[in-house]
Amino acid sequence: MANIEKKSAKLNRRKFFKGSTLVMVGGALAYGIGSARILRSEDLLLRPPGALEENAFLASCIKCGQCLQVCPPQVVKLGKIDQGFGIGTPYIVPLEGACILCRGLPCVLACPTGALDHEISEGKEAAMGLAVISRPDTCLSIKGINGLVFQLENLAEVKDSIDLGKLSDLLTGLVEKLTPAEKEQWKLKFQLLELSPRVVSQILTKINPVSMKWIIEFMKGAQQTQHACRICLEECPINEESPISFKEKIDPDSGKKIVHPIVQKTCVGCGVCEMKCPTPEPSITIVPRLKWKEVSV
Amino acid sequence: MNKTPDESSPRLSNSAEVGAVLKNEDSSKVGSPRITPRKRKGPGLRDVSINDNSSPHKWRIVRWSTLLFINFLFFASFYFDIQILEGSLSASRLLGFHLADPFASFQVMLASRLVKVNLVIGLVTVIVIYLMLGGRFFCSWVCPYHLLAEFGEILHKFLIKKKIIKRNHVFDRKIKYYFYAIFLILALLSGYTIFEVINPVSILSRFIVYGPGLTLLWVFVLLIFEIFYSRRAWCRYFCPVGVSYNFIGRISPFNIRWNINNCSNCKKCQQACMVPFVLQETVNKGKSEYVVSGECTRCGLCIDACEDGALKYNIRYLDKLI
Repeated sequence: MANIEKKSAKLNRRKFFKGSTLVMVGGALAYGIGSARILRSEDLLLRPPGALEENAFLASCIKCGQCLQVCPPQVVKLGKIDQGFGIGTPYIVPLEGACILCRGLPCVLACPTGALDHEISEGKEAAMGLAVISRPDTCLSIKGINGLVFQLENLAEVKDSIDLGKLSDLLTGLVEKLTPAEKEQWKLKFQLLELSPRVVSQILTKINPVSMKWIIEFMKGAQQTQHACRICLEECPINEESPISFKEKIDPDSGKKIVHPIVQKTCVGCGVCEMKCPTPEPSITIVPRLKWKEVSV
Repeated sequence: MNKTPDESSPRLSNSAEVGAVLKNEDSSKVGSPRITPRKRKGPGLRDVSINDNSSPHKWRIVRWSTLLFINFLFFASFYFDIQILEGSLSASRLLGFHLADPFASFQVMLASRLVKVNLVIGLVTVIVIYLMLGGRFFCSWVCPYHLLAEFGEILHKFLIKKKIIKRNHVFDRKIKYYFYAIFLILALLSGYTIFEVINPVSILSRFIVYGPGLTLLWVFVLLIFEIFYSRRAWCRYFCPVGVSYNFIGRISPFNIRWNINNCSNCKKCQQACMVPFVLQETVNKGKSEYVVSGECTRCGLCIDACEDGALKYNIRYLDKLI
């Protein structure tokens, strides 16, 4: 009896051996064929500069993450499980950190497979997508509000605790652009011997609601704030290519002059404008992979 | 274990067999029937084991340290920005020189239908390196999944010993070759590197370098399967990443050398070996001096287990050249 049991167990194992091979090979085929449909992600992500067309990019990317490693501002992320075939592939979320089109494009140089195409060597040659004015109703440029004043007022609105880090950034930017006469007034106000980005930390120690109000009122009259917001263009890493132009239009309803930002062909879609846009929800956003032709039509 | 000298008679026929195989080495000894008693069956010529287990974990310690060190270098490249070994196991740069996993590279080339210089350089470099190091050397000395699977194997053996699980399920070892072919063809047809989505090696490597993700669940599932159902199933039966290294290992000159004169046929090497069949041609049949199977991962467990100094790392044909 024991012998028969042993024999049948052996037969069972042999059956399992053959059956399991079929199951595994079949499973691999089924996964492969099924996944080709299921794992195709529909939404396009913003890829690093030089990325090939999306399908070619997915095929070429070996998912090693070297682009992420060499990225100086550390803005490249790797796709998670929800991205199907995009798992492990690099993408950028401009709001959390935009590509600054570094000189020499280290991510492109690092790519071993050419998924980030070595054909391009400069930021202005990239074609990541295009910026669009997605919320014209909040756009400060269209509303005729200066971006710097808007940001300062936003900071002051938060009672008790002013975000000093952000304020420091703003002050560093603005003190350099003050006219000599304006500088004198600041020196008097904050009792400083000189006025340069280096003394911003000294100004910060003297920040209180009253001095904050003074800064805002002063900046409203300052020369550098006499135009509506142009932060998207000012912050653009390739602004010498003038990817955004500002066109004056007459509003048909009110008859007032308004300034419209218009994205030009030279925009590569790096996303810095989206990141830097001062409105709570960015008024300018990047549409990944968008080509300029599609916009102009 | 301790048999009396009277039991030497079945040895005689066996030693004649050995003589046929190793004509040039020991013809003088084999000519006349062996008089000294032998303890165990097998082609090895040493009668009694010298029981020299002075370094039972030497190579395991060296190997695990190497594996952890290499994966630490990957981790350090990103976390501490120490640029020695950048990237992950799919593709990386060692001091600036491209390296690329062969299976991942083939998938990329077939899926994209492009052959890029950097990838070819990385691929060739890896092939040359593992030609020198011995093919699936990658598996046991570099692959982080292998380390997890080793612990899984220990756990599996423990569970079987405690009768918590009934038996180990054995699959066909050829399945990995089928997988290799299937996923390469699928990459060509679909235009996606389909296998890379479920590749536990690159998932783990990316986890080590770039932090965790939900994909780790898949690695976890594989480990559970190995622990409770089939011992070391992924590495043994399924992993196509190892297949490339398997092919390389077949022609690699870096092998385990089996010294017939020192072997006392204790078979402890096979008990220790993670792929025991690779030792058949040597310690079971005495047909070959080197373990030449592509499946051999050059892990050194057999060397550690051998108490007779019969197994050593060696470079095939080098002794003949010199």
